[in-house]
Amino acid sequence: MKLLAKFNSVNIAATIIVFMIGGLCYYFILHFVLVKQLDKDLKVEEQEIMDYVKVNKNLPDSTNSNDQKITFEPAGIAVKRKIVSTDILKDRNDEHETIRKLIFPINISGKNYTASVSKSQQETEDLIQLIVSFTLAIVILLLLVLFIINRVVLNKLWLPFNNTLDELKQFNLSSRKSLKLNKSSINEFKELNNAVTVMSNQVVKDYDSLKSFTENASHEIQTPLAVVNSKLELLMQSENFTEQQMKDIEIIHGEMRRLSKLNQSLLLLTKIDNQQFREMEEIDLAKIIKKHLNNYEELISAKQITLIQNPGKANRVLMNDALADVLISNLITNAIKHNIEHGSIEISLNKNLLSVSNTGTTLFNKPTELFERFKKDDPKSESLGLGLSIVKKICEQYNFKVGYSYKNEWHTVNILFA
Amino acid sequence: MKILIIEDEKALSESIATYLKAQDYICETVADFNSAIEKTELYDYDCILLDITLPGGSGLSVLKELRANNKMDGVLIISAKNSIDDKVAGLTLGADDYLPKPFHLSELNARVGAIIRRKQFGGSSTLQFNNIVIDTQAKVVTVNKQGLDLTKKEFDLLLYFVSNKGRVISKNAIAEHLWGDEMGGNLDFIYTHIKNLRKKLVESGEADYIKSVYGMGYKFTAG
Repeated sequence: MKLLAKFNSVNIAATIIVFMIGGLCYYFILHFVLVKQLDKDLKVEEQEIMDYVKVNKNLPDSTNSNDQKITFEPAGIAVKRKIVSTDILKDRNDEHETIRKLIFPINISGKNYTASVSKSQQETEDLIQLIVSFTLAIVILLLLVLFIINRVVLNKLWLPFNNTLDELKQFNLSSRKSLKLNKSSINEFKELNNAVTVMSNQVVKDYDSLKSFTENASHEIQTPLAVVNSKLELLMQSENFTEQQMKDIEIIHGEMRRLSKLNQSLLLLTKIDNQQFREMEEIDLAKIIKKHLNNYEELISAKQITLIQNPGKANRVLMNDALADVLISNLITNAIKHNIEHGSIEISLNKNLLSVSNTGTTLFNKPTELFERFKKDDPKSESLGLGLSIVKKICEQYNFKVGYSYKNEWHTVNILFA
Repeated sequence: MKILIIEDEKALSESIATYLKAQDYICETVADFNSAIEKTELYDYDCILLDITLPGGSGLSVLKELRANNKMDGVLIISAKNSIDDKVAGLTLGADDYLPKPFHLSELNARVGAIIRRKQFGGSSTLQFNNIVIDTQAKVVTVNKQGLDLTKKEFDLLLYFVSNKGRVISKNAIAEHLWGDEMGGNLDFIYTHIKNLRKKLVESGEADYIKSVYGMGYKFTAG
C-alpha cells in the first residue's frame, strides 16, 4: 500500500468519524437550544394566561392559530405541570407534525382546569434540518478538497524521496558512479539524502578496501607459495636423495600446487562475487567447447572415453569471455576427471540449454549439495570441491539456471540460459 | 644471454637465478624500483623478468620507461596478482608474456627461452639437442634430417623437455604446461603421453633421453 493511500484512508476515516460525532453533537445541541427557546415562549404564554386569570378570575379565550394553540378543559383534580413533545397527525397528506405542548393547572375559585399551550415544532425542525444539511454539504466539500490537496501536494512533497529511491535502485557498487541526489528544502529529505550519501560513500570505501584486501591476501599468499615451490624445484635437481625422500618432495610439491590452486579458486569466487567480471560480449559456446575438447583430447582418449556431441543451432550467450572459458573448462574437466575407464561424455548444446553428462560412479550425496563449496561426493577424491561452486556462481551472475542430476550412473549438469 | 630479474622477494629471485644460471644464462637481480630503472637504463638484457609490485613503484612503470626509451628487451611479467586488468595492462605496454605466481621454474625457463628466440631470430629459430632439431616457428621436428610426426601435445612436450634439458621436471609442471592448471589430482595420464613420445623418438633412431626420476618426474638428458 502506498504511503499516500494509507495516509489518505486514515485521514479521511478520522475526518468522517470526527465530523459524524461533531455533526450529531451539533444536531443535539441545536435541537436543545431551539426547543429551550420554544419552551421559554410557552412559559411566557403561561405567565400571560396566569396573569389574566389573576386579574379577571376567568379563563381567557381559547385560540387556535397556525402558530399557537391554547385550550382549557375542566379537570377533576389539578394536573401536574409538564412540557411534552408529541407527534400529531396533520389533517391532510398523512404527514406528521411535532408539537411542543405545555400543560399546566389553573384554579379559578376552587375549580380546576387543565390549560394547554402548544406551539408547532415544525419550524424549529425545518431550521435544524437546513442548518445540518448545509453543514453536511460543507463537510463533504471539505473532505473532497482535503483529498485532492493530499494527492497533489503530497505527491509533490514526496518527489525528492522518490528521486532518492530511484537513484538508490540504480546504485551499482562496481559501476563507480556516485549517487546524484536532488537538493531538497525539506529537512527530513535533506537528512535522508545526507545519510544515504554518507552510507554509499562508506560502502564504496569498504568495497574498495575489501577488493584490495582480497587482491593483497592473494598476493601475500602466492608469494610464499612461489618461493617454496621454486625451492622445491631446485631441491629436485639434486641427485643425492633416497627414493623415500624423492617421493616426499613430490608429495610436498603436489600439495603446494593444490594449496595455490585452492587460493586461486577462492579468489576467483570472490572476484565473481565482487562483480569484477563486468565486461560482456556475445560468446560462441560451441567454439569454446571445441577448444577445450581439443585441449583435453589426449586425456579423453587416455581413459578411452567415448565422446558424444549433439550440437544444436549456433548458440550465442551474452557473458564475460573469461568466465565463459572457466565455466566450460570446469564442466569438461569435471566430466573427464570423474569419469570411469571406457566411459562416455555427452555434450548437448542448443539455443537455451547446455548439458554435459558423463558416466561415473554411484552418487551418494544429494545432487544439489555438490554445488556447495568444498563438497565432494568422494571424500578421497583429490579435487578441491570448488569446480561446481564456481560453475554455480558464474550461472548466478547471469541468471542461468543450473542443475545437477544423477540417473543410472550418469551424471548430468544442465545449464538453462533463458 | 643476459637476464635481469626484478623481484623484491629475495628468496624467489635467488631460486630463479640458480635455475637459469644452470641453463647458461647470466643473471642479475634487483629488488626495488629505483635500481630496476637504473639497471635497465644502463644495460641491455635479452630478457627481463618483471614483478609488478615493487618497493618504490610499479613494475608497469619500469616497463613504460623501458619502452619509452625505445629499448626492446624481452619482458616477462611475473605477478602474484593474476588479475586480467594487470595482464592486459602489461601486454598493452609491450610485455612479451605474463606468468602468474606461483609458477614452475621449468615453465619460467621455457617461457624465457621462447621470448629470447622470438626477440633474437624473429621467431624463426631452431632448437637442437643431439640429432633432434626443433623448428619452433614451423612447429616441425626432424631427427637426423628425417621428419618426426608428432601430435601438437607431443611437440609441446618435446620442446618443454629440450628447453629444460638436464633438469628434473615434475609431473605437475608437465601437466600444467600441456593442459593448463585445471587438471589437478591424479597425474597418471602423463605417463601414457611420455611413453608415446619416447617410443617415437626411439623409433626414429635416437637414444632414450627421457629418464624417469623416481617419485618426482622426468628428466631429458643425453647422459
